[in-house]
Amino acid sequence: MMTSVGVDYSILAPELALAAAGLLVLLLDLILRNASRWLLYTTGIIGCIAAFAFMLPLYGKTQSTLNGAFANDKFSWGFDTLLVLTLAVVFLLSSLKRAEDGGNPASYASLLILCTIGGTVMAGATNLIGIFLGIELLSLSLYVLAGTGFPRESSQEAALKYVMLGSLASGFLIYGSALLYGAGGSIALSALTKAAAVSSPLFIAGFALFVVGLAFKLALAPFHLWTPDVYEGSPLAVTAFMAVAVKAASFAVLARVAYTVFGHASDALIPLWALAILSMLVGNLGAIRQRNLKRLLAFSSIAQAGYVVVALAGVGASGLSSLLFYLFAYAFMNLGAFAVIGLVGDGSEAYADIDAYRGLFFRRPWVAAAMALFLMSLAGIPGTAGFYGKVLLLVQGFTAGPWGVALGISLIAGTLVSFYVYFKVIWQMFVPVEGEAPQIADGTAASWLAVGLGAAGVIVLGVLPQMFFTYVVAAPP
Amino acid sequence: MLIDVIIFLPLAAALLMLLIPRTSSGVLKAAALAGSLATFILSALVVPLAPNGVTQQVVPWITSGVVASYHVSLGGINVFFVLLTTFVAVPAVWAAWTYANATRLRGYLMLLLAFEWTLLGLFTAGNLLLFYIYWDLMLIPVFLLLVGYAVSPQARRAAWGYLIYNGAGGLILLAGVIGLVVQTHTFEVVGATSGLPAGLEWWLFAAFALAFLIKTPVFPFHAWMPDTYTQSPPPLVAMVSGVQSKAGLYGLIVFALPLFPNAAHAWAPLLLVLAVCSVVYGAFAALAQNNAKTLVAFSSLSHLGLVILALFAFSFSVVQISVLMIVSHGLISAALFLLLGFIEERVGTCELGSFGGLSVRAPRFGVFMLIASMAALGLPGLSGFAGEFLIFLSAWQTQPVFVAISLVSVVIACVYVLKLFQSSMHGPEKLPAGAVRDGLELRPREFALVAPLLAAIIFLGLWPAWLNDRVPASNAVTQASAASMESK
Repeated sequence: MMTSVGVDYSILAPELALAAAGLLVLLLDLILRNASRWLLYTTGIIGCIAAFAFMLPLYGKTQSTLNGAFANDKFSWGFDTLLVLTLAVVFLLSSLKRAEDGGNPASYASLLILCTIGGTVMAGATNLIGIFLGIELLSLSLYVLAGTGFPRESSQEAALKYVMLGSLASGFLIYGSALLYGAGGSIALSALTKAAAVSSPLFIAGFALFVVGLAFKLALAPFHLWTPDVYEGSPLAVTAFMAVAVKAASFAVLARVAYTVFGHASDALIPLWALAILSMLVGNLGAIRQRNLKRLLAFSSIAQAGYVVVALAGVGASGLSSLLFYLFAYAFMNLGAFAVIGLVGDGSEAYADIDAYRGLFFRRPWVAAAMALFLMSLAGIPGTAGFYGKVLLLVQGFTAGPWGVALGISLIAGTLVSFYVYFKVIWQMFVPVEGEAPQIADGTAASWLAVGLGAAGVIVLGVLPQMFFTYVVAAPP
Repeated sequence: MLIDVIIFLPLAAALLMLLIPRTSSGVLKAAALAGSLATFILSALVVPLAPNGVTQQVVPWITSGVVASYHVSLGGINVFFVLLTTFVAVPAVWAAWTYANATRLRGYLMLLLAFEWTLLGLFTAGNLLLFYIYWDLMLIPVFLLLVGYAVSPQARRAAWGYLIYNGAGGLILLAGVIGLVVQTHTFEVVGATSGLPAGLEWWLFAAFALAFLIKTPVFPFHAWMPDTYTQSPPPLVAMVSGVQSKAGLYGLIVFALPLFPNAAHAWAPLLLVLAVCSVVYGAFAALAQNNAKTLVAFSSLSHLGLVILALFAFSFSVVQISVLMIVSHGLISAALFLLLGFIEERVGTCELGSFGGLSVRAPRFGVFMLIASMAALGLPGLSGFAGEFLIFLSAWQTQPVFVAISLVSVVIACVYVLKLFQSSMHGPEKLPAGAVRDGLELRPREFALVAPLLAAIIFLGLWPAWLNDRVPASNAVTQASAASMESK
């Protein structure tokens, strides 16, 4: 059956707006010759706002274009919002005086935008090819960005490691997709439902490889080994982007697959639960010994990815909104924490060390209070977004049978370990210091804005979670 | 509306203090004291509502998924917990005035007020979500006060012990709460007659009880307590031991027992054993201590074990009697820890044997110490006696064996309390080098801040019925007890 490919540009408008912003940034640099970072990043942020403006009419609708290959629905809208928001905050983080951009802010900015487009493509793609395209667009841009700390060696190392392991993961993913195509006879995810119901060996093998590929991107243990080094070596703003945007986009894919292909708790998903439990253990235990805050947050992100999977346990009716809620919470608290790290060190790498935070409360009370808020949210202390997120995850877990309960209990055990991890940093900040402590630089207004946004998000989601369900979740349970 | 004002007044006072410059310590002190005093006066106005007047306020809060409202209530039992909190907070905040490092006084007072806020929120919470939120929030001010404002390195170790133990308790409670709400689909579970499967009820009660026993604490979950009580600054430990230790008991009375009556009966034998272990072990451990604060800490373990004994004996008037004992213990331990704090301030140590004979130069101090210690010992006419006596009387009806064993603690209590009092106050004057010889006597501020606590101890000792008559008799726990009495 051949139909002409009708293109509904309103659905593609957010991506097109971002692409236009990315090209505009490059053009500006070309025309103006060394345009200022301020101009370039402002253009990027305006692109984000434009993309969001184009997303507003799509709110709450379910529609698709490109012959059903690309959709706007409950799986994409919230994730897209999150991605665009993250990009805007990352631009703010990039504006620190000593923030690294590889000496070429224009290509840095356009790569960041390309990454985000990749993420939105992942969230909207409804077939295997679309998903792969999105992932590759995201990953390839990010490989380059990881190395923009040039000529710092750890940044080079990060880029190289990320390329090697990331390509391997892409290999798994594309091979898995090929097998899935063989099992389902179509690249459309909706066509895989039948194959999933039968659980043919071909489908199982394909799905397993597909999950392995995604697990690499999500940094689920045991596919997390690249994470600490890459997070530590990459420039701060890029690390923040990796921690939030890559996870959000990959979870969008995972959620779509879980709900479209399975639609209910299936035995084929058991390996995913096992990966999640392992991640919670590895992430939290691994974080205990870290003294570099970027590494600490890397391990933390491994554990948090494990937590988020709990939302999918049982593939329940309200699982998707719980997943989105936790991802938003995670985005606010992580972006906020990275913004504080940027403020403390003014973007330079030396100050990610925990010693720089000793007695911070008595030198810079507001910075320390903000950091304490983000860390408490990561630990799940009530009144913060992280707490209510964990409540939602636990509700999902405890309603989802034995595996769900196991996931819930490991979430609780992991959280207890993480108390030590996060409160160790809070402890450092509140311990009175004797003698001279390292002074910290004043940040730019932009980085203060990032801290403020993170803090506002953490508090609003924590105190008034209903606002999220009323205004963000397009399809309430 | 009035309830909200009471709950949030301490927090508002703490936040307002941000506007006061760090250096003007006089204004800060006055503001903090005014905040806690105003909270107490407001909460005292609520007393006439008891026993059956209950003020509720319910505002829709979360309507998607698991439903929860902002639900606070005041009336019945929790009036006394609220009053205890606000009453103890005033002397605690006032005692904190003398904190040495003036530039950091603001944070100290703010954290104390924030701690009072979390306790008030906990005791007025009308549903499990709010209860849990405040339950966990309590950790933060205590941890920060131990980390940032206690002097010794041991205090920092105590901070970790406190955080990890109570954090674990909190997470176990969270598991229990979520396990319950996935059945009820709402956090508003108070008064809901639950048709839970028996096995699930058994597990949920276990989770709730474990969290509550850690917080109280009860043997063998008390490992965090001696360090925390000994190392905390005196105002903090007055609040932790005087009020926070009651949070677990409150949770048992208001949530765990009414929600899971069958499981509570199933678990009762084990809990009775733990209670008696706490009572007896706490008494003997107190006897062996050389540090006055640690001694009082273990006596606290012993006395609060009695409340658990009373609750799980399922005898008559359990709730009234428990509340009396709880309030009485809160007043006594707050007074004792504040007085010990004054001693530490003067002689630099609380090690028994390294100082003594203080009452020679400080007769008023001696009298105050005497009243507080005799109350801890259980002397008739003071509140400690009323509470203990009624617990033994009530629990004897159903559990004579456990009561008989617990009675040992009464004898031991005489020994350790007299040891504490004699070695610190009586005998020839003995002061370590560097202690201030003049000015051992209580200063007017110190006198004024402890006196109300002692007055309340005497008042409740002479007229315990004042409190008992105001605790509502129709409580789910009492009903469960009555049922089990009839069945015997």
